[in-house]
Amino acid sequence: MDFAASLKLIAPELLMSVSGLVLLLVSAWVGDKASRAISVAAAVVLGACFFLVAPAVCSGASGPDTLAFGGQFSADAFAGLAKLMIFAAGGAALVIAPAFFERFNAMRAEYPVLILFAVLGMSIMVSARDLITLYIGLELNSLAAYVLAAFLRTDDRSAEAGLKYFVLGALASGILLFGMSLTYGFTGTTSFEGIRVALNGEMAMGALFGLIFMLAGLAFKISAVPFHMWTPDVYEGAPTPVTAFFASAPKVAALALTMRVTLEAFGAQDDAWRQIVIFAAIASIVIGALGAIGQSNLKRLLAYSSINNVGFILIGLAAGTPAGASAMLVYLAIYVAMTVGGFVAVLMLKDENGNSVEAIADIAGLSRTRPALAFCLMLVMFSLAGIPPLFGFWGKFVVFQAAVNAGFVALAAIGIAASVIGAFYYIKVVKVMYFDEPADVVKGESDWAHWALLAISALAISPLGYLLTPWLGNLADKAAAVLFLGV
Amino acid sequence: MVDLSQYLPILIFLAIALGLSAAFVFLPMGVARLTGAHNPDAEKLSEYECGFPAFEDPRSQFDVRFYLVAILFIIFDLEAAFLFPWAVSLDVTGWPGWITMMVFLGELVIGFAYAWKKGALEWE
Amino acid sequence: MSSILIIVFLPLLASAIAGLGNRALGNTVAKSVTTAGLFISCGLSWPIFISFLTGAAEPTVVPVLQWVHSGNMTFDWALRVDTLTAIMLVVITSVSALVHLYSWGYMSDDPDQPRFFSYLSLFTFAMLMLVTADNLVQMFFGWEGVGLASYLLIGFWFKKPSAGAAAIKAFVVNRVGDLGFMLGIFGTFLVFQTTSIPEILAAAPALKGASTIGFLGMRFDTLTILCLLLFIGAMGKSAQLGLHTWLPDAMEGPTPVSALIHAATMVTAGVFMVCRLSPMFQAAPDALTVVTFIGAATCFFAATVGTTQWDIKRVIAYSTCSQLGYMFFAAGVGAYGAAMFHLFTHAFFKALLFLGAGSVIHAMHHEQDMRYYGNLRKHIPITFWAMMAGTLAITGVGILGVFGFAGFYSKDSILEAAFASGTEMGRTAFWLGAFAALLTSFYSWRLMFLTFWGKPRWSQSEHIQHAVHDEHGHADHGHDHAHDDHHSHGEHDDGTAGYHPHESPWVMLTPLIILSVGAVFAGFVFSPYFIDSEHFWQGAIYYNEHLIHSMHGVPLWVKLTATAVMLIGFVVAWFAYIKDTSIPRKFVDQFRNLHAFLYNKWYFDELYNLIFVKPAFWLGRQLWLKGDVGLIDRFGPNGAAWVVEKGAVVARKVQSGYLYSYALVMLLGLVAAISWMMVQ
Repeated sequence: MDFAASLKLIAPELLMSVSGLVLLLVSAWVGDKASRAISVAAAVVLGACFFLVAPAVCSGASGPDTLAFGGQFSADAFAGLAKLMIFAAGGAALVIAPAFFERFNAMRAEYPVLILFAVLGMSIMVSARDLITLYIGLELNSLAAYVLAAFLRTDDRSAEAGLKYFVLGALASGILLFGMSLTYGFTGTTSFEGIRVALNGEMAMGALFGLIFMLAGLAFKISAVPFHMWTPDVYEGAPTPVTAFFASAPKVAALALTMRVTLEAFGAQDDAWRQIVIFAAIASIVIGALGAIGQSNLKRLLAYSSINNVGFILIGLAAGTPAGASAMLVYLAIYVAMTVGGFVAVLMLKDENGNSVEAIADIAGLSRTRPALAFCLMLVMFSLAGIPPLFGFWGKFVVFQAAVNAGFVALAAIGIAASVIGAFYYIKVVKVMYFDEPADVVKGESDWAHWALLAISALAISPLGYLLTPWLGNLADKAAAVLFLGV
Repeated sequence: MVDLSQYLPILIFLAIALGLSAAFVFLPMGVARLTGAHNPDAEKLSEYECGFPAFEDPRSQFDVRFYLVAILFIIFDLEAAFLFPWAVSLDVTGWPGWITMMVFLGELVIGFAYAWKKGALEWE
Repeated sequence: MSSILIIVFLPLLASAIAGLGNRALGNTVAKSVTTAGLFISCGLSWPIFISFLTGAAEPTVVPVLQWVHSGNMTFDWALRVDTLTAIMLVVITSVSALVHLYSWGYMSDDPDQPRFFSYLSLFTFAMLMLVTADNLVQMFFGWEGVGLASYLLIGFWFKKPSAGAAAIKAFVVNRVGDLGFMLGIFGTFLVFQTTSIPEILAAAPALKGASTIGFLGMRFDTLTILCLLLFIGAMGKSAQLGLHTWLPDAMEGPTPVSALIHAATMVTAGVFMVCRLSPMFQAAPDALTVVTFIGAATCFFAATVGTTQWDIKRVIAYSTCSQLGYMFFAAGVGAYGAAMFHLFTHAFFKALLFLGAGSVIHAMHHEQDMRYYGNLRKHIPITFWAMMAGTLAITGVGILGVFGFAGFYSKDSILEAAFASGTEMGRTAFWLGAFAALLTSFYSWRLMFLTFWGKPRWSQSEHIQHAVHDEHGHADHGHDHAHDDHHSHGEHDDGTAGYHPHESPWVMLTPLIILSVGAVFAGFVFSPYFIDSEHFWQGAIYYNEHLIHSMHGVPLWVKLTATAVMLIGFVVAWFAYIKDTSIPRKFVDQFRNLHAFLYNKWYFDELYNLIFVKPAFWLGRQLWLKGDVGLIDRFGPNGAAWVVEKGAVVARKVQSGYLYSYALVMLLGLVAAISWMMVQ
């Protein structure tokens, strides 16, 4: 085994772990005064990792050269593309946090460290080509996330969110682990490659159980129905920057991981998992849309929106084709931009004392008091609803196209029909902002970093985003192709 | 039709177990009733279990330090559990195995140092 | 012959300029462009017509554009020019050009003139497309185009509820006819596998009586069915008995529109279509019998109604309806040339009568009721003489073998043909037609006498009172009220209420004079060509040599019948409205029921209201309340919204916030997934 080559392939992860450990010690010894500095350092690390990963994505790296540690870890283009999104989302979570926590006098040095570890965990998840690697990455991410959810220790809702996330996450981990043990027991291997080979042909009942349990565990992570129940409560309770992080990066990681498990490890048994994925997709779209109706809290609304969007992404997985996988990646990229933009906009809603404004009723008439902010939020809402000139439409379009081309016309039709329900509450937010009498609650100012992030995301999801489609589509195609090499 | 005859020993074993346990439960009770004084009070009738009251509000507050100690114990307990198979197979894994474990131990040390610095080990 | 392209498309261009430019261009530009366009078209049309008269021209087809090529269904935009088309070209462009000119004066006070002129030109274009059609689909395009333009122009004063209602009525009644026409076209395509008119006409005679269509378990002759379906379309457009109810109401439109569309051109489209397809109709004798009967019945019915109406425009409208009946029964007995000839002459004298009526209405400040006219011949002499020419033409005044006004030649030839056809239905038509000619003469002279002779009866008219009041209100501004009241309450003994009718401006009189010339001489000049010259037609219509021959051989009394009944009608009218004006009142008192029956137009509107309109409204109401609201809305949009709303409530309820219920849902999901895969 060429140890050096392996280490070179995991360079980003290595960099993150070492710097994470160092920053952890710094945070312990220097204390919370250093939190801004540590945030910057963590952001720099993520930026460095971004550029370490980028070449592999652009070149569409695949094959044996990308495998480290005897095939347990793969630094291929697919993992790379997912990592780029994760790093970007993680970076955004670092940028938006200080301003938020400082208001509660709760900005602690551990926050960037935890983000860094969570990102590291996700980075390992998306590169996993072995059940053990998968689990280590997943747990590293989860443990950091539990703490992050409860980061505002003194806030009841935050603590409740942390506890709920932890208990249900532990349950999901247990389910996943049980599935992994069953899979190992019936295939005799933990490597995805080995599982694929072992399962070629008739599938044993035990392996099927293993598959279902693993899917259930993963479904919890991507908050697909019926494993979504934690999402609204945790998203609402967790501090907003953390929610922004939860809604973006872990979704990418968990979905990428799900793709790896289903398309790589269980690629030969797509009939077995497709029905579950189809059900989860439709149920997520419908429940996500229905749940969002009647919500009065913006964060809760966005939580349901993320459930809804995951449903659409899963339609691409149900297609089970390279085009479907590529469409998922495209959708994910657009989704990350929309989510970051949406939560940044929510973060910028502050009353005169600088407290967060989360109630939809309080942003009534925002277009008159804060036209720029209202416009960006409108872009996000319309994009999430998938209304054509905006980029969100493209994501839905490619996913439906992939489904139709794979012969799942009914699925695509149901998805399109259900997206109508979703449009209702997105547009309702716009209506409240633009047509209701101003509530005159939002008065606080935001710093340039928020405006910059909001501007970038708004620009990405605006019709100008379509300029990216050839480039993004090309990267996604190359990345998706990696998953189908074994076929 | 399944041949159940193989399960006969288990059945016999079950019967003996039931009989013995019944004997252990009811024999002392019967002997005590027949021989000793019968004078019950509330304390005597309450169950005894591990020094805790059998029924109480589960939401009573513990000091969080109990958990911290417990968590730290588990971490190092598991570390020890890892060390045994590692030590046995060290001749196979060689230097990479040794380095990996050292890295693992190093990480634990850093975590321990963090906990220590944060005062997790101070009781008062 | 590319001038035909200019003739047809220039009005469209002018319409587009006037319509799209509208207020931006202003009234004068819009009027000038459209009128100039029409006069150019007209100027180019006459040479074509004359070249057919002299026999110099050959029938041609000018292709314009590919249209539909689908399977074996092929048809293109193409303009067909033959004798039949040439006749229609001059009729349409001449009348349209004159009506455009006339409208300069008639519509001068209207705030919306560009729209009016745009519609007029659009109508002309559609009508030209209809008459130049080389296939049934293009004819249908023109057919619907004129229907649309007619709808728009009837409802031109859309702020008036009655105009809107009349427009809708015209449109809906025409839909009934158009359904028949469409079915006819579909059926024709089904049978002949083509929509090209020449090909259909070439194939039709061979099919005579050779093919049947099964319908409701009975066998019908194919051609009869097709011709009857097409004839239903013609009935709708040409306001024949049964589908005639829209035409009198269409008088709600401006009078120039009535002259152009509802007298001279559009309503004759049905006659044109039957003539165009004459070889096909000729191969379906049963259908021709029906055509004859409907035509004769309409001719008689409309004439009877016309004798009792008071509204000057309605009298002329029923007269139009009646004259169209003549044309149809002429076609029905096989005298297509006579039908076209009557169409041709009628276009001139009926347009003249309408424009003259418009001039009268203009002079009488929008009063249309003839009871409030009287003694106008001295006040508006040019209009009077023009109307006189029109009346002489329509009543068919003339001396056999010497000279006659236009109607004398065309109507007489129709009656002769009907008599000469020798069939039972032809004889019936002859007698009905002769009686209708008597009535025609009566109501035409009644109109003239009521309007131009007698004593002025203007003072009872609200319009006149209004006008006088306004006039004096302006003139006597500053005078004391007593003097003002004295005038406005019309205490003049002469019945004029102090009102002085003014002759119309020259832009209105010029068309009247030109049309008068047509009304006087059209019959005399063109009669030999239309009736007797097979060469003139060059196969554009079915030319029945035998019928023409026997037409000339009818007994003298037949030839004199028309003149005789015309004189009787004139004398009766003279007695009733000049000699002793109490006669009509006595007659009405004597025959109250008959008068009410005629005055109420044979109760057709009431009957249709009862049979079709009320049930249709009831059905519509049921479909709306039960079908749309109760069924579609309830289970469609509203139902979906309800489900979503309830679903949202359930989704919120399930989201209880309790950890154990979340865990339970997760485990239930897992169990469900496993169970599903197990039973698979």
